[in-house]
Parts: sequence; structure tokens; C-alpha cells
Amino acid sequence: MTTWRRHLYHLLLWLIALVFFAPVAWIILSSFKTANQILAVPPVWIFRPTLANYVRVLSDPGMVHSFINSIVLSVTSVLIAVAVAFLAAFSFSRFKPPGTNFLMFLLLSIRMLPGSAAILPVYLMYVGFGWKDSYWALILFYAMFSIPFSVWILKGFIDGVSPRFDETGRVNGASWLSIIAKLIFPQVLPGVIAALIFNFIFVWNEFLFDYIIGGPHTTNVPTALSTGLYSGGGVDWTFVSCVTTLYILPPIVIVYVFQRYLLVGMTFGTVRGEV
Amino acid sequence: MSAILFEAVAKSYRARPAIRDLTLEIADQSLTVFCGPPAAGKSVLFRLLVGLEQPDRGRILIDGRDIAADSAADRRIGYVPQSFALFPHMSVYANIAYPLRQQGVAAAEIDRRVGQAAEILRIKPLLQKKPSQLSGGEKQRAAIARGTLKDARIFILDDPLVGLDFKLRESLMEDLKDMRATLGATFLYATSDSLEALTMAEQLVVMDQGGVVEAGPVERLYHQPAMLRSAALIGFPRCNLIQGEVTRGVCQTPLGGFATGAPDGDVTAAIRPEHIVYAPQDVRALPGRVTLMENLGAECVVYAEYEGVAVVSVPESDRVANLDVGSAYPFLVDQAGIAIFDRQSGHRIGEAQHG
Repeated sequence: MTTWRRHLYHLLLWLIALVFFAPVAWIILSSFKTANQILAVPPVWIFRPTLANYVRVLSDPGMVHSFINSIVLSVTSVLIAVAVAFLAAFSFSRFKPPGTNFLMFLLLSIRMLPGSAAILPVYLMYVGFGWKDSYWALILFYAMFSIPFSVWILKGFIDGVSPRFDETGRVNGASWLSIIAKLIFPQVLPGVIAALIFNFIFVWNEFLFDYIIGGPHTTNVPTALSTGLYSGGGVDWTFVSCVTTLYILPPIVIVYVFQRYLLVGMTFGTVRGEV
Repeated sequence: MSAILFEAVAKSYRARPAIRDLTLEIADQSLTVFCGPPAAGKSVLFRLLVGLEQPDRGRILIDGRDIAADSAADRRIGYVPQSFALFPHMSVYANIAYPLRQQGVAAAEIDRRVGQAAEILRIKPLLQKKPSQLSGGEKQRAAIARGTLKDARIFILDDPLVGLDFKLRESLMEDLKDMRATLGATFLYATSDSLEALTMAEQLVVMDQGGVVEAGPVERLYHQPAMLRSAALIGFPRCNLIQGEVTRGVCQTPLGGFATGAPDGDVTAAIRPEHIVYAPQDVRALPGRVTLMENLGAECVVYAEYEGVAVVSVPESDRVANLDVGSAYPFLVDQAGIAIFDRQSGHRIGEAQHG
């Protein structure tokens, strides 16, 4: 009886999970269909998969360029952000400058604004500096936008590492940089990976800022997707589904590989025990 | 020659004094145990000496040289902190070797010395493990090995045996004495356990409330304490402290009167438990009553009560085997063991005159 109920329960969980997955499944299936099959009513379940959509997208130099942009922008800005955030978090955690709590709040405040509000002053600034459509300017912005959250995650992790480790390093003549790199960093690696992934997903899917302060050179895939959405007088479904399918692959692989770190990251490291 | 000299050292945290104008001299090559209740300032004093903190006032000299400008690393002090702080991502071997690697010692030499220390501390089979795979006592051994391995003339062990069970403490105390014999350096050792202090110490420093109550050889501090606080803090079971009053050469206490050379005034008489003698046959004995008994094996700690005064004594177990809580406990006070302290200042002002 109880096993029977448990099976039923699991079946229910699977059904709910499948409902959540349905849009993704629709996109992935559609990418292998022709335009007519995608729009058919009732939906076509059994069809002969075609790779024509992929051939079309991958032979479009503009699209390939956007993919490269997405990778360059997200990887570079996230690495910079986490490196800077790590040092900041270490300083906040260890030296506790006066007003640490307020500073930490202030850091996060930019993330409390809706992007559509933050974009106005940023746009004016970027136009004023002549930074529109520049890789470095966009990377700078994404890094700046990613740092606050990273500092929060990493400070939680570093707080969980006893300062006795630093002291053992200091007594034995280690420099601060060596203490950070060799003694603290390995202990908070799960937090670093969590911060990397969270920020990567954010920058990877970022549309608004790339659209407004980027330009033809720095178009990433979300922007390319939205500008290429309409062609030939309607929504280009094969294009959308194919680009989207390609685009969700990297985050899925990364999240799958590092999922245990992500779970640790959700707890902000604050549940770690004292050594 | 003194290895270490603290000169009027003071340190506060957020206006709360942790060390108050502390002056202390520590002899070269000595084993000095710092004993005192938690938050007496032992750890803070060590952190100042190691260089993890700077004193607000005063000077610290090592071999006659002010070390204020030296960084923690330059002071070349071996330090075993209160928590083990073993790096969880490194093997036990890498942990122990860390100070030597930082000092740039050659790999073969590191290997030899880590092996030697692991031998003494009996952790050789554990060297390739990670700290998380070690038990509490093994972690402590690894931490001690790491702290005592580097080239240093001063070693500081901040309560390294805290939280260990009795048997482990005993064997680690033996190990530590072995280590010290091999190293021949100045050892500073903190503990809040007065029994551990008595077992380990040659020189004893009794600390309380950020200052030194009294310092000296352990035998003198135990038998001839100059301060009431050190009589109270050192020894297990605790010293009996009996309120009394001296008038014209006689000290009156609830346990009777006795002659003394101390001047008139309110006093506290300190009587070690071993000087409260169980005397069932003696007609002069005071009729106490047992309130609690703790059998330690050969000896038994008997808490008795007489005229509202609690007294602790340690008779041999077999002599009190038939007693229980509530039993009559006739006892005598051995007048050879009574020290008299001024109640106000806490200074020793005399003792019972006997004979």
C-alpha cells in the first residue's frame, strides 16, 4: 500500500516536471521540423527530423558572430567579476571596514532596480563616453552588474572559513595574496563555481543592455534572436527554435556538470561549520 | 637571560581591556604554563607575542630586542592556535610541512623532519589522509606537529589539549614533553585547566582579568601562593577559602581559631583540600556532614558542610568507603597548611603558627 502510494507520488512529480519542461521540449522538437509542421494543428508528434534549420543558422555568418559574441562577453565578464568580487568579499569578511553592512547593501542596490530603469542613466553615460558598441565597455558593464551578487555569495562562503587559517599563514610568513590563493580559495571553491554559474546564466541570457548599449559588433544571441524574429511577414519559427536549442546547450551542460556546487551556492555557504 | 619580556603591555578591544599593563619576564629555554579562567587574556597575550595583534601600549622584547616592527613571520615563533586550523584541502603531510615550505626548506629535509615529528606524535600512518578523516585527538597531534616543526626558538601552544578526553590528554602531555626535550626551546603553554597546568609546568603564570596574578616556579605557587587569586585558581580540587578575622595574633574562623603573626583585620584563610584531614577517631575533630562525594579511584573528593561553611577534602577512597551523602564527617584542619590573605588586597599576610 505505502509503496503503491509512493509510486503514485513519484508519478505526480514527474508529470509536474514534464509540464515545466514542455516549452523547452516544444522548442527542441520544433528545431527539427519544417515551418509547416511547427504550425500544424493538431501538433505533429511523429515526423521526419530535418537538419535544414541548423544548416541555415550555422551558415549565417551574422549568427555565428553573435554566438561568438555571447561566449566572449559572458565568459570574460564573469571571470573578471568573480575575481574582483572574491578580493572584495575577502576584504569585507576579514577587515570589516566601518559600514560594511551598509556598503554590502549599497552594492546590491543596483540589482534592485528593474533593468529598464537602470538602462537610462547607463545609456546616457555610455553615449557620453563614446562607449557604445564596444566589447570592453559591455564587458565592463556586465562585470559591474555581476559583482554585487558575487560579493554577497562569496562573502558568505569566506565568512564560513575561520580566520585562524589566515593567521596560520601569516605566522608562517605567507603574503596576503598567497593566503587568499592557497589557503582560502580552495576552501570556497564551491562558492566560486556557484558565483560563476549564476553570473554566467545572467550574462548569457542578457538582452536589454546588449540591445541598447551594444551595437552591430557586439550583438549577442538574445539580441540577434529578437531582431531576427520576424522575417518574411511573420515569426520565423524554425529560426527561433533552432537558435534557442543551440543556445540553451552550454548552460545545460554547465549546470549539469556543476549541479552539486549550485546547490551549495544556494545556501550562500552560511551553513558551513566552524573548523 | 630572559628570552621574552613584556613591559607594561596593554591591549583593548572596543574599549574593553583584554590585557592591563602586564609586565612579565620569561626565562630562556623554560617551559612556562599560563593558567587562568577563560578570557583571562592568555590567548590575547600570545597573539601579541606572535604578532597577530599589536599592543596599544608597552613593549615586547625577545632576547632584549623590541619586536614591535617585526611581522608575524619575522618573529619566527612556532604557534599552535587554540583551534587546530588544519587546512582541509591539504593532506596531513602538506599541513605539517606548510611552515617549512614557507621557509623554503629543501624537500628532502622537509620529508625527514615531518617523518620525525610524525613519529614522536604517532601520526605516521595518517600523513596521506585529509584532516576531515582524522579524529579530534589526531587533528590535535597534526596541529601540534605543524606548530612545533619550524625553525624557531620560541613555541607557543594555546590550550592545545582543550576538549580532549582524559586519556588522550595524558598521552598528548607526554608527547609534548618529549617534543620539548628534543627541541630545547622556550615553550609557552596556555590552559584553563589547573590540573593540566600543574602537570605540565616548570614555571607557572597565573592570569586573571588581563593581568598576571602571580608568576613563579610551580611548587612555590602551589604551596606558597603570594596572592589569594592564585591560591583560588590553582589546584584541584579547589582550595578552601574560609573567611576569618585576626585580632591580636589570633585568627578566628568558623573552623576554629589559630595563632598567627598576621596583623589585625578581615582575612581569608586558604586551606588546600589535602590539609582538611578526615579524623573519625579524634575527639577534637569538627563534626562535619557529607554533602557530595566524587570517587576518583585512589582518592575521593568529599564535599562536607560544617556550620554553614563548605569544605573540600581528598581522603583516600578506602577510608571513606562506608560514607554517603548525609554521613557524619569529622575532620581536622592541618594548621601547617593554612595561608592567610588580606581580604581587601588579596595579598598574603601570614600563615597559621603551629607547633
